[in-house]
Amino acid sequence: MVKNPVLQTLARWWAIPRNYFKRELIPVLADLRLAIALLLAIALFSIAGTVIEQGQALPFYQANYPESPALFGFLTWKVILTLGLDHVYRTWWFLALLILFGSSLTACTFQRQIPALRWFSRTWNFYTQPRQFQKFALSAEFQNASVEQVLPLLQQRRYKIFQQGDSVYAHKGLIGRIGPIVVHVGMLVILAGAVIGSMTGFIGQEIVPSGNTFQIQNITEAGRWAGPQVPKDWSVKVNRFWIDYTPEGAIDQFYSDLSVLDKTGAEVKRETIHVNQPLRYKGVTLYQADWGIAAAQVKVNNSPIFQLGMAPLDTGGKGRLWGTWVPTKPDLSDGVSLVAKDLQGMVLLYDMTGKLVGTVRNGMSTEVNGIRLSLVDLIGSTGLQIKADPGIPVVYAGFALLMVGVVMSYVSHSQVWALQHDGKLYIGGRTNRAQVTFEREVLSMLEQLDESARLPHPEMVPG
Amino acid sequence: MDLVHLQGILDNVSFAVLFVTMLMYWVGVAFPNLPFLAVGGTTGMAIANLCMAALLGARWLEAGYFPLSNLYESLFFLAWGVTAIHLLAENMSKSRLVGAVTAPVAMGITAFAALSLPDDMQQSAPLVPALKSNWLMMHVSVMMLSYATLMVGSVLAIAFLFVTRGQAIELRGSSVGTGAYRDKTYKLRRAGEAAAEPIYPDGGTATAVMQTTAVAQTLSPQRLTLADTLDNISYRIIGLGFPLLTIGIIAGAVWANEAWGSYWSWDPKETWALITWLVFAAYLHARITKGWQGRRPAILAALGFVVVWVCYLGVNLLGKGLHSYGWFL
Repeated sequence: MVKNPVLQTLARWWAIPRNYFKRELIPVLADLRLAIALLLAIALFSIAGTVIEQGQALPFYQANYPESPALFGFLTWKVILTLGLDHVYRTWWFLALLILFGSSLTACTFQRQIPALRWFSRTWNFYTQPRQFQKFALSAEFQNASVEQVLPLLQQRRYKIFQQGDSVYAHKGLIGRIGPIVVHVGMLVILAGAVIGSMTGFIGQEIVPSGNTFQIQNITEAGRWAGPQVPKDWSVKVNRFWIDYTPEGAIDQFYSDLSVLDKTGAEVKRETIHVNQPLRYKGVTLYQADWGIAAAQVKVNNSPIFQLGMAPLDTGGKGRLWGTWVPTKPDLSDGVSLVAKDLQGMVLLYDMTGKLVGTVRNGMSTEVNGIRLSLVDLIGSTGLQIKADPGIPVVYAGFALLMVGVVMSYVSHSQVWALQHDGKLYIGGRTNRAQVTFEREVLSMLEQLDESARLPHPEMVPG
Repeated sequence: MDLVHLQGILDNVSFAVLFVTMLMYWVGVAFPNLPFLAVGGTTGMAIANLCMAALLGARWLEAGYFPLSNLYESLFFLAWGVTAIHLLAENMSKSRLVGAVTAPVAMGITAFAALSLPDDMQQSAPLVPALKSNWLMMHVSVMMLSYATLMVGSVLAIAFLFVTRGQAIELRGSSVGTGAYRDKTYKLRRAGEAAAEPIYPDGGTATAVMQTTAVAQTLSPQRLTLADTLDNISYRIIGLGFPLLTIGIIAGAVWANEAWGSYWSWDPKETWALITWLVFAAYLHARITKGWQGRRPAILAALGFVVVWVCYLGVNLLGKGLHSYGWFL
């Protein structure tokens, strides 16, 4: 076909890797034992990631995995950091394993599943020789029965029947053969969606005090081509943030009343979000993730309202506290610390020596150090998780295929053959999954045939 | 009688009934000729199943939401699932051996929930904010059902390994007489006549093939052996649990994405759900692999039993990650 000698040479050169690919690589990739090994290897390395703490700082590993005595004799912090066991799921070798898994899936789908389907979808699958029935465990022969008697029995059991003269082929549950292909395609689609998402999506976080407006800037993770996803021409205003508490004082739910503002500052969308109820705008989703106390508004005697920023206090992991300091003398030589643990309105007051000197509630006042301190309000800040993932529709499509596929795969494909030959009726069949149920079905058919064979039959020529 | 009092009775009754049921199944295996034991075992399982359904129903009425808020409720939901799947497996296999392995599992779960959990952990607790969602019903209940189903499938695989211990090859080609078919039209074939069993590339347990020595002989069906039946029922039950697990994981992923913006975050619980999924996926593939038709897939399924338990309870013992609320802590 190719006349040009240069092109011919090129084609010959190209044939070497192509043939290698076809003859060597694909069969290895499509090998089921490789697939099983990959499934178990991914499982095993995933276990490592659940046993070894992920994403901690270096001192954590140095403290918990010392060089001597090494855990199990080898697992020191150096080994963990070298192998990347502190972030298993993002290491090159785990991703390589997933890529290999995806290749194996693809190879299996095209090399095994689809060619097999071609065989099962043909309808000219008739048997003409009695010996063909000998290979089935579930097969029998009858002296006094005809192929016509088999048909109603198969119909009752909802088989799709094909007949050609004295030979019958019937099957049901072909969907069970297609199911695994749909499963594999679904998984490939999910993997593709995950790759698209990691290339073009971003994750950000913002802590915003109630009443403030912000643009999404604090981006913690972004894909290589995530730039266009980050919104530049709109901002978000936190109209109000509040927490609902149960009568026992536990958090019931936290809410942020958000407005999306366009370039001119005009409101284009307004929604109140809470956990399980995010706000979506132009492919970006804002989730209620966290909260804090931003500031306390106080008055000293008859002063104007001061807004003092509250800072989170280090409690060593035992609950969350926020604090600030209010001077009670003009030269700042004395004051009280305000400590709050939630937005229920109660604030504790500590003096310079760290002694609890009183409490004050929202809108109330108290006497400390000879002055009257009024707490006007506590301002909450909302913690928002911001995300854009253009791969989501693809991943969801994969989820749908996977779910439909696994359900389809439960169905057992049953095939029954029947042949009338030399005055005898041969019947046999097999199924791929539900052996026990199929055995019961075939035996009940044989029993019915057996009963009807003993009855005098008008159409039947006695054998 | 108030609902709380009723629950206290029902959980102990469930345990007692399951204990007696287990004994009946075990004695029934030892003395197969006592017919009332078979009926008794199935009845006991059904009664326990209804007791636990009533218990969970009472909880639902009392709390106003689907009763899966703490360990106690989830254990009873699991035990209910095990008894339900047991009834299905027993009906599919018509074998009393099923109860001999599933009854101890159900009994053990109820014993743990009703007897060893402290009283304050048995009270129904309010839901934390993250769980107030319709996806909770979907995700948690489907996951629990899949655990129950996979556990039943796995213990059946363990029973298969026990029945075929050290004699897998002899059992393979043998067949048991049909009993119901003593008619002259087709005669029953004896065990020794089946010579070889090929492996079909299309999966499932291999259909045993009869190689007739004389073609003139009448063709008759070859029945599945007890081991074949156990193996196939185990496969079918796992085949039912696998889609449930898949749907449960996906429901969780979709819920996580809608609630906090990430469908997969490698949290220990979801990683273990994936590990469970991978192990059973390996099992399903091992069954269609050439030369792996004997006990090896069943060993994988038996391993799956441990993995399901680690996924269900073990991860929560670590007490970290997104799924730690409302269980042990």
